[in-house]
Amino acid sequence: MNDHAAKPEPVDAVIVGCGASGSTAAKVLSEAGFKVVGLDRGPWLKPEDYSGDELKYVNRNFLWPDPTLKPRTVREDEDSPTELFPFSPLPQLVGGGTVHWAGWLPRPMPSDFIQRTLHGDLPDANLADWPFLYDDLEPYLSKVEWEFGCTGLDGADKYAPPRSRPYPSPPRPPTRFGKVFYDACAKLGINGFPLPHAMVSTAHKGRNPSNWTGFWNQYGDPTTTRSNAATTFIPEALATGNYELRPECYVTRVTTRADGTAKGVVYLDIDGREVEQEARLVLLCQGAIESARLMLLSESAAFPDGLGNASGLVGKNATFHEYLYAIGLFERELHGPLCGFAGHYISGGSMQFYETEEKRGHIGGCIIAASQVGHPINWNFPGRPLWGEAAKDGDRDFYNYSMKIGLILHDMPVESNRVELDPEVTDAWGLPVARITHKPHPNDVKMAKWQVDKNQEILDAAGAAKTIPVYLERSTGNTCHQHGTLRMGFDPDTSVLNEWCRSHEVSNLYVLDGSGFPTALGVNPTLTMMANAWRCSEYIVEHHANGNEVRLDKPRVEVSA
Amino acid sequence: MASKADWPAAPADLTQESNERLFFSDHEWKTIDAATARIYPTDHQPGAREARVVRFIDRYLSGIDYIYASADGSGFLQMSGKLADAWRARNAAMRRTYRQGIRELDRIAAGRHGKPFAELTEAEQDGVLEELSGTPKPKPVTLTDTGPLGTMLQGVADDGMNFFDALCLHTRQGMYADPAYGGNKDRVGWEIVEFPGPESLADTNDCSYSVQEHFVQDCVWEDLIPFMREKG
Repeated sequence: MNDHAAKPEPVDAVIVGCGASGSTAAKVLSEAGFKVVGLDRGPWLKPEDYSGDELKYVNRNFLWPDPTLKPRTVREDEDSPTELFPFSPLPQLVGGGTVHWAGWLPRPMPSDFIQRTLHGDLPDANLADWPFLYDDLEPYLSKVEWEFGCTGLDGADKYAPPRSRPYPSPPRPPTRFGKVFYDACAKLGINGFPLPHAMVSTAHKGRNPSNWTGFWNQYGDPTTTRSNAATTFIPEALATGNYELRPECYVTRVTTRADGTAKGVVYLDIDGREVEQEARLVLLCQGAIESARLMLLSESAAFPDGLGNASGLVGKNATFHEYLYAIGLFERELHGPLCGFAGHYISGGSMQFYETEEKRGHIGGCIIAASQVGHPINWNFPGRPLWGEAAKDGDRDFYNYSMKIGLILHDMPVESNRVELDPEVTDAWGLPVARITHKPHPNDVKMAKWQVDKNQEILDAAGAAKTIPVYLERSTGNTCHQHGTLRMGFDPDTSVLNEWCRSHEVSNLYVLDGSGFPTALGVNPTLTMMANAWRCSEYIVEHHANGNEVRLDKPRVEVSA
Repeated sequence: MASKADWPAAPADLTQESNERLFFSDHEWKTIDAATARIYPTDHQPGAREARVVRFIDRYLSGIDYIYASADGSGFLQMSGKLADAWRARNAAMRRTYRQGIRELDRIAAGRHGKPFAELTEAEQDGVLEELSGTPKPKPVTLTDTGPLGTMLQGVADDGMNFFDALCLHTRQGMYADPAYGGNKDRVGWEIVEFPGPESLADTNDCSYSVQEHFVQDCVWEDLIPFMREKG
């Protein structure tokens, strides 16, 4: 077999990773006439490849990275042992996380962009303001909601940030457990509402919202109900004739020229042949773990500590959003079945606990949502009896009589929480894997406890006979949300990317996934990632491509008391 | 090398009715059938024995031909490349785990009662499983409060699991996985927990399967969300 395939023609832009942010960049650049190549490590699966097969998707990793081919290692800190662990198993295939996601699509709040201004120097954390504000991102949030597809109910969220457009598609009705959540919230004076959802309920942009199977979170969608990059922005980019998608291509390094700019990328194709794709622009969109890993793998004589890493900050300040929850068990004699197999994962949520309230003893807060407990093999039942009559009775009595209220933990950035190359473990291609060092900040532990307890109160108000809390023990990456490893900012000494997510050092290298987030949000990050990728791609089209460099002024923030 | 997107589906050699053994010896089959019947016992409703959990596990351990059902349920995906290699290695490790585990069940059984595991009474078998697991048989779920419990992980794979934990997990899977995989015969597992599952994987692939009736019908948002009424 030939070790080298024919070298392809140089293009305007090569985009590494074809998920939420990579597909957004592909759409914006190819629609503006750029010649673009998209490379993805995984296959391009189509709707017809998907089914409601719990064993295949949830137990046998059909979408998640195979943990023996693409391992990761994790440790809490330098003094703790390192273990092999499938941390943050974001699917590596065309469409990325938008293939398997539940699709919570909430907007960030204005406070998310000014955490440093609001809270100052939180001890042992590394808070920073974003280099732009909510208002700067708002037009792009609207663009993504309308172009990508989003359900939501106008006027239902008491705490909604300013919006320039209504939601494009109405929400589907509540599930039975969703209704129980709304009723309990009303009783407690909590503003429950249908969270914005990355799906359509009407034939928005010609889509066919016919999936009512309940096989949703962690499954692929056999229709176009769900907003999935592989069935929306990727085909739209392909339709321009300017975009070429190459699945099953594993990018192993970014190459550079003598002047310190990026020359292109080297990848292994499906047959293991090495190919170099040159491009005027290199855009990394693989998620904050793999993008940081690729920067580190791309070390060279000119960049001895990894590409664009003069600051030493590549991989640092990583945040991961642990998912935590409380479960309520209900007595069947007193309640109708809650049918936790039905729905589109979330049904009803609240932003009521998002902003800081000092009396709680922690800063910040997070989004909460009632959600499906899942399907019979893996339904969420912490402490489930493993075997015997108790195991069978537990399933029989409570599978249909339980519900879950979860939260997305708004974790604080800590510089020593980071992504590096593991010194020992390699993947099936012989390259060092990502080692994650992550220890929750004390504020994370307090916020988790407070909010899980609050979720238990809601379950109690709903009439649960018993509630089971799941607090923060350790960081497992179970949301697949990844951010902060290549922090953006104005100062090259304290950030890796500038305000357009361009490397401070490598003038034609952009990273458009969540890597640039200076702080995590208290909501799911994908809408913000896509909006930011759109914003930065537009900058590339309007300014970078014309040889202009436009720098933003540091935002002037006025915080009212 | 074929991309996952192009893996062909081979029709399953075995029908959902077949009891042909692909991996276990007669003795191993009998032992696992007995053990899974204690993990998910038969009562006024079917248990692991009636769901044919042993058949599900036998097909899983047989190699890599019964790992991923095709989306329309007509057969199984024929893997290739590194993923196929990874599954072959996983399969070889899990076969060893089972072979050693079955010997261990018999060793404990012989030590306690002088007979192989499959020939013991149910109570004796429970005792062997307690000894194997190192913990007492689980007590019924009560509605009194418990302390906090561990984290939820995305996905529950079986890499590196010990025999007892793997057996319990595979028993759940054989009870509740789609019948295409050889267990959950006649969807008896789903009936026990009142899950209105699909007739076939094909119905989930073309979305003729629907749980829309289990949503709340005729919902008026203003009734559910006081804030919408307060605003007027």
